[in-house]
Amino acid sequence: MASTPVIETSRLSKTYGSGSRQTLALDNLSMTVNRGEVFGFLGPNGAGKTTTIRLLLDLIRPSSGSARILGMDARDDSVDIRRRIGFLPAELNLWPGRTGNQIIYYMASVRGDSKGIVKHADELAEQLKLDTTKRVRDLSSGNRRKLGLVLAMMHEPELLILDEPSSGLDPLMQQTFHEMMQGYRDKGKTVFLSSHVLSEVQAICDRAGILRDGDLKAVETIDKLTNVEFRWVNVRFRDAIPDGLTAELRQSDAISQLDLNGSQATMRLLGDFDPLLRIIGQGYVEDLRVEEPSLEDIFLAFYSSEEGGR
Amino acid sequence: MTGAVFLETYKQTWKQMVYWGLGLAALGLLVVVMVPLFDMQQMKELLESFPPFILAMVGVGNDLEVFATNEGFVAIGFFGKSALVFAVYPVVMGMRITADEEDNGIMDMQLSLPVQRMRLVIEKFAAYSVSIVGLVVMIYLGMYAGVAISGIELDMARLTEVTFYLVPVMIFIMAVTMVIAAIIRRRQIALGLMTAYIIVSFMLQTIGAAAEGTIAESIGSVSFFTYYNAANIMTDGFVAAHLVGFFGLSALFLAAAVYRYERRDIGV
Repeated sequence: MASTPVIETSRLSKTYGSGSRQTLALDNLSMTVNRGEVFGFLGPNGAGKTTTIRLLLDLIRPSSGSARILGMDARDDSVDIRRRIGFLPAELNLWPGRTGNQIIYYMASVRGDSKGIVKHADELAEQLKLDTTKRVRDLSSGNRRKLGLVLAMMHEPELLILDEPSSGLDPLMQQTFHEMMQGYRDKGKTVFLSSHVLSEVQAICDRAGILRDGDLKAVETIDKLTNVEFRWVNVRFRDAIPDGLTAELRQSDAISQLDLNGSQATMRLLGDFDPLLRIIGQGYVEDLRVEEPSLEDIFLAFYSSEEGGR
Repeated sequence: MTGAVFLETYKQTWKQMVYWGLGLAALGLLVVVMVPLFDMQQMKELLESFPPFILAMVGVGNDLEVFATNEGFVAIGFFGKSALVFAVYPVVMGMRITADEEDNGIMDMQLSLPVQRMRLVIEKFAAYSVSIVGLVVMIYLGMYAGVAISGIELDMARLTEVTFYLVPVMIFIMAVTMVIAAIIRRRQIALGLMTAYIIVSFMLQTIGAAAEGTIAESIGSVSFFTYYNAANIMTDGFVAAHLVGFFGLSALFLAAAVYRYERRDIGV
């Protein structure tokens, strides 16, 4: 029997305001997140990512539809759910006059078993190189983010819900964060993270959902999302590019976004390599580089195809 | 753990309570120490020449005999004149129960913990109520020290009554602030409404007291200040029904705030 999804939403919608000032923030969101996966929730600012997370946490109430977390109703069983999840908001705000240790102790006390939780928090703080004796007001934005991660993870929750988790972390810490998330997944736990940093999602997520204007456009594995038909190709010739070759590149249906710069040509290649190889074979190719499309490209391609279809 | 929110709230508040307490205790001490410096009879004669409205404005009221006593001077000079100052602390605390943390985004973190909204509101309300008791104890100690220093004769039982009667009044103000914040959600609007409520209440009570036997007196009875008349408590003791009224309304507002807060979206 398949295990119960960790997150399951059914036609979840949220509307803010009323009358002419009504805004649809989330439109009939139906999706599932399975146990043991790192699920990325992608979308530009204002897409509805934070609204979804706040609905899952029962901070706001749906206009229609429902959500189940760890098999429980997100509204009726919200206290039991929050016992088993960890949360990091996009904008972490804490009491400025309290130290990291004081906040850790308080939150551990509310969760019960404060001794064990505080011990684990100390380990996490060490891993993230965070000084928890400082007051919140004295912490840099990156260190506040680290404190937020410690607070979200210190009770070893079954599900981590992270809103833009690595914003403000330096590259080294981002790497540490990615490793922590992979470690989490290896323990069979689940991570649901929202991000507009697509490389982050690419690096750590198993699947991703793409959200725009409150509408879930797609849910795919990262491999499938990145398996698109085009690549970026950069060709460097030994000499200036002959006019005839340039004309053929421009005429090819497989090539678009051609950029010529002296002896160098950059282009977007759709489909097989053979047509390109036949054209560039007319010159002396010094170097040929192929780049897989980034998630940014996929994102843009996805949106442009959606808009083209409208 | 039950009580964790209460403890944390109290830990975050006790210093402010001490600062407020020191200030108000010093003010109380000063008023008591000043009592021997005034000739009460002369003061009474001077005040008799004032129109009733002015007397009501300065909190003396119509009974000048009361003002001519040590108890009356302390009641009017400290508790009467500082009524608006006493209202500030519970408003600040009432805003902290939900509005402040909602406004600055901390509430999202609070409510990501396994704690019911109802429990959060009740524990915070309890913690701030305890801080109000602490504040009033400090005020009382300041006045007690004033009596010891000045050596004046003062009915200490009545002084205790009038001082500790501040507790239900301040808790009531905190409860009104809390329920407005729970309904309105926006901190600035809630604060503005609460400030207006206190000022209008004060004005209604002042006008009502100055116009006995008129409709203004009836309207004045709407003001909560009408039920905190320090001079009357000093002379006749507190009215139990008023005490019950303050606590009863506070409980009602607490229930209303919890009801509303349980059902609405948390703001950011």
